[in-house]
Amino acid sequence: MSEKIKNIFIRGAISPAFIADGIQKHQSKTSIGGHSIFLGQVRADILNEKKVAAIEYTAYEEMALEKMHLIREYIFQKYPLTCLHIYHSLGIVEVGEICLFVFTSSAHRKAAIDACEETVERLKLELPVWGKELFTDDSHQWKINK
Amino acid sequence: MAIKVLLFAQLAELMNAKELVVENISSTNELIGVLEQQYPVFKGAAYVVAVEKDIINANTKLNDFSTVALLPPFSGG
Repeated sequence: MSEKIKNIFIRGAISPAFIADGIQKHQSKTSIGGHSIFLGQVRADILNEKKVAAIEYTAYEEMALEKMHLIREYIFQKYPLTCLHIYHSLGIVEVGEICLFVFTSSAHRKAAIDACEETVERLKLELPVWGKELFTDDSHQWKINK
Repeated sequence: MAIKVLLFAQLAELMNAKELVVENISSTNELIGVLEQQYPVFKGAAYVVAVEKDIINANTKLNDFSTVALLPPFSGG
């Protein structure tokens, strides 16, 4: 599979309507028997008595898109998928809003579930994306992934 | 030899800049040495080095107009 590099970045939060629309669009692909969806949501963490109000995401976009492309190719080789869609927010996403949307589809559930999980794990480790946790008191700290 | 250095996240914040141009540099080790000498914030800072968007694990030769990115620990998703 060698297609052109896709953009995964969306300005601000990923809306529930966008996710619903993504599901709707797959109704015409009737070889699909299962979808798996992962949604990352900004959590109102409390760190040193400060409450997170939002996360501001930045990225080394060109490098992130190249790395995501390589991950996509790897995932498509490993699993019999029909589709794989990835969207990640840039800029400010408030608590409770969606910042990551990974959507896999396949004929049978196992490939979709496993591919979705592996894609999420790999992109969190490998994409040059950074989250700045903005607190309610206007201070901030750089997020650490667990 | 002008090397473009891209800074992100904590490093961009500490340096108050997203980009630096460093002259007369021929390798990544030399670049890191010069940066640490000129800007103490680089000492002890956590980051990996990418040359032309590929993360390197050893000293790498640089060419004129090479782009080097200093990448703090990733925290996307």
